[in-house]
Amino acid sequence: MMKINNKPVINKIALTTYKANKKRNLLIIFAIFLSTFLIASIISVGTSYWKTTMERQLYTSGIDYDIALTEPEDAQIQKARSIEEIKYAGLLVKCAVIEKYQQKMPGKTRLYWADNTCFDKMVLPALETFTGTYPEKENEILLSSRTLQNMGIKKPHKGMKLELSYYTLEEGTDEEILEKEFILCGWYNDYTGKSKGYISEKFYKKSNVKPTDFTQGSLKIKLKQPLYTEKDILSLQNTLNLSNRQIIEADASIISYFIKITAGLAGILFMVFASSYLFIYNTLYISVTRDIRYYGQLKTIGMTSVQLKKLINKQAFWNALAGIPAGLVVAIMLSKIIIPEIISIIDYSFNKNNTVPVNIWSFLIAGIFAIAAIKASSHKPARIAADCSPVEALIYTGISAKRKNRKRESTSIFSMAMQNIFRNKKQAFIIFLSFVTAISVYLCTSIYIRANDAKYILNEVLDYDIRFQNETTLEEEKPIFTKEKIKQLEKLPGIKSVRTVSSKEVIIPYQEETLGKYFKELYSTRYFPAGSYESDMAEYKKNPGNGIFTSRFIGIDEAGFEYLNKSVGNTLDRNDFEAGRTAVAIRTFTEGDSGMTGKTINFRLPGGLNPEKEYSVKIAAVASIQSNPAFFAGGIAPEIIVSEKFAEKLLGETYIEAVMAEYKEPYNKETENAALSVFNGITETSSESRLCNYNEMKTTENKSKVLGNSISIIMAILAIFNYLDMMASNVHNRSKELATLESIGMTSKQAKRMLGTEGLGYAIISVTISLAAGIPLSYAVFNAINLYAGVSYSIPLGRNIIFFAIITIICVTVPVIVYKKTQNQGLTSRMGENF
Amino acid sequence: MDILETRNLKKYYKTGDGIIVKALDGIDISIKKGEFLAITGTSGSGKTTLLHMLGGLDTPTSGSIYVDGKDISKMGKDELAIFRRRKIGFVFQNYNLLPLMNVYENIVLPVRLDGIRPDKIFVDKIINALGLTEKKYSMPCQLSGGQQQRVALARALAAKPSIILADEPTGNLDSRTSLDVLGLIKTCALQFSQTIAMITHNEEIAQMAGRIIRLEDGRIYGGGCTYDENK
Repeated sequence: MMKINNKPVINKIALTTYKANKKRNLLIIFAIFLSTFLIASIISVGTSYWKTTMERQLYTSGIDYDIALTEPEDAQIQKARSIEEIKYAGLLVKCAVIEKYQQKMPGKTRLYWADNTCFDKMVLPALETFTGTYPEKENEILLSSRTLQNMGIKKPHKGMKLELSYYTLEEGTDEEILEKEFILCGWYNDYTGKSKGYISEKFYKKSNVKPTDFTQGSLKIKLKQPLYTEKDILSLQNTLNLSNRQIIEADASIISYFIKITAGLAGILFMVFASSYLFIYNTLYISVTRDIRYYGQLKTIGMTSVQLKKLINKQAFWNALAGIPAGLVVAIMLSKIIIPEIISIIDYSFNKNNTVPVNIWSFLIAGIFAIAAIKASSHKPARIAADCSPVEALIYTGISAKRKNRKRESTSIFSMAMQNIFRNKKQAFIIFLSFVTAISVYLCTSIYIRANDAKYILNEVLDYDIRFQNETTLEEEKPIFTKEKIKQLEKLPGIKSVRTVSSKEVIIPYQEETLGKYFKELYSTRYFPAGSYESDMAEYKKNPGNGIFTSRFIGIDEAGFEYLNKSVGNTLDRNDFEAGRTAVAIRTFTEGDSGMTGKTINFRLPGGLNPEKEYSVKIAAVASIQSNPAFFAGGIAPEIIVSEKFAEKLLGETYIEAVMAEYKEPYNKETENAALSVFNGITETSSESRLCNYNEMKTTENKSKVLGNSISIIMAILAIFNYLDMMASNVHNRSKELATLESIGMTSKQAKRMLGTEGLGYAIISVTISLAAGIPLSYAVFNAINLYAGVSYSIPLGRNIIFFAIITIICVTVPVIVYKKTQNQGLTSRMGENF
Repeated sequence: MDILETRNLKKYYKTGDGIIVKALDGIDISIKKGEFLAITGTSGSGKTTLLHMLGGLDTPTSGSIYVDGKDISKMGKDELAIFRRRKIGFVFQNYNLLPLMNVYENIVLPVRLDGIRPDKIFVDKIINALGLTEKKYSMPCQLSGGQQQRVALARALAAKPSIILADEPTGNLDSRTSLDVLGLIKTCALQFSQTIAMITHNEEIAQMAGRIIRLEDGRIYGGGCTYDENK
């Protein structure tokens, strides 16, 4: 058979058809552009967002390592550094604690020595900012911004002299307070919220603290392969030959955590790809099926199915040629210019070159995806067009009308609208699928973004706006937080509520029934030397007032009860607690309640009205140390939290250890300054606030907010445009049917009501399915990739309600607007159109 | 009594080249209650345009159209739609049934659009008269062309309109089915005292009507006005 060269003819027809359908092709180009842009920017911005959240998590931990060996010996350090699987190992030793600076107590500031590996490779990457150098001389010191702030130093400078009182942590020695003039050699900012600093090797050696001193030394290890199993850790333990109290601090669930994160992210990414694909598919499908009558005419005059497929594919190729590069260019502009510009507007200190690195892979993936999506999407409609006989093509409506009888007699506007939603089941399924996918992804991203919002994290982690701490607790016990001062704080216009926490030493005699199990469990942890239980308990029974067995008797007011009760799962009875019939015990180092719940605990209060009297109270719940509103700990017996009223009854006047305030307007700078001024000049207090923490996190917060919101907006655009595109085509395709309805008496008001109801139906069904599918999905994603402990799952209602409202408004108005547009032609012309 | 009357009805179009096409050029017709009228003419004579004008589907360039004494040429879009569903029944050449509705739903749709509960006894009577009882709940795609046209006729009758306008109602049907449908139209006109105006280019079919109006180049060449010239 002779080959017929019909390529020029096909090209000509394709070109003529293409030119004739300018509007429609622009719509397709727009769909391809949007999908490519979305994929490229989601990958690019998403990667950057993920990097920012990981960065922030690193700043929050303050040091970058995988596992740690406690109390390492020299030989173990050398051995560890020679192990093939270990990338590097850095030594960190806690050497001293600062007590005072110019009569100010900066809250227990721990001073560490880090060897070169530890500081350069592990600490430095976890600092947001670092100015100066690591201490070299014996009197040089590097402090965190938080410490300097607590010391009242607002403008630190290199070489600044700091007269500090401190004590070293040498094992087996008393806390002897020493005085020394240190020279500030640098300062840094991290998000640990802890007051700490670094000293030189010379100071460390002089302090006599050894890496092997209990809880002071730690060998931080970075692995070549950060995903490890329990078996790997056991093997490492054997290689390093751990002594009895040493442990390797590792996370046994790291692999499952990694799998969960990967699955969560992959799930979101899959859905993003799916919605983009459906967008391209819908647009091409609708476009080709609208032209089927035309293709039928071409077939009538002799065009073969193969030629027809070629023609359709050629047009799709031209659209791809225009849409894909445009999408990629705009995505690059968004990542490289627009987003950095927005962040720099919000935060002037932001380095614009530092936001979204233009990753060639994200654009390559987006380009390949778009080509594949266009290829796959044009295949099906091209096949429909090619498979239709010329006669079938002439009467093709795309409607798979029911072939079965339907015993129904409803013709209300509502029922007509409902029928129309499902008139083409396949198309309805695709509309819902793409809509639901995009809405669900929006829901998931909004939940994830909230979980990583600095304010949200701080609100979840801190239950107060500001907290003042009396640093003389456990020592002189100066009554700093007097009733007058607290009243003064309460009276400030921006203050919503003030809570106080009182504490006093308590002696808890040994009680087998209540505390026997607790002490056994406590002594089985690594914090107590093996074999010390019997001797210690003998000493305890003989002398319960011995420092290490005493504890704290903590009083909380009514507002504090709410927080405590919440932390123990709302199991407390307010009346019993307020009346002093029940208390909450705080455990340290142990897990569970050690059988204390429901039992009575006896105690004495040496600083109370009746020091020798033994009181008793029922333990209603046992809470972890995180639930303890007091900062200072006593000995090893569990702390007892009671109501302030009960504490006052037994102690007379209570000693206020901490004051917490909530602002009417959280993060309000004026209120914060006013609150700080109440205790201004009192050097023995320290404070911690949400605003202060927030300011530290601001740089990454701004970055992550802009990036996160960009992802949300992109997803919202995808959802909306997908619907817009399909609804516009839907109404267009039905213009003859709508004209028929008008001819038999449907007013335009009724038509608009019908179309509006259809849109509302789409919105309600889509949002309902999205919520039904999206909430469990987002919960799974949240659990899989949530980076902050203590941050609970919650849906950002405001932004989602606004989004759903926008979706609903668009769903209802778009079909009506498109219908109005079709009304430009006369009724008889519209009746003559195809549908 | 005249159900429909036009006075000096004109419809002019301007083509892309600026040439004015006189689709209708001074049409005066009147149709009496219960009359079965056929409008014939060659292709492009203006008969479909005339039907569209009579049914309020299109607006005239000038002139008046009175249906039941009301001038519909002055009505707005929605007013016309309401007027159509109450006073006019249409039978189109390509049936124009709604594909997602069954036979019954298609028939009662104009009544329901008017917010009125359909007179079930009357609708069943029509369905019965048109031989659609067995197909009451069938979907349009399950019906033959003749059956679909009968449904269209039933829909036109259901609202008890002042006049039924039929545009080439047998244009898509074979000759035997055409005769069946025409027979039914005629029977219904008598049974339900309906006024019917039918467009056809087929002289044989036109002969079945009580009166024939012939159109050529937008003008009447015979059978036009029957109304009193002095009125």
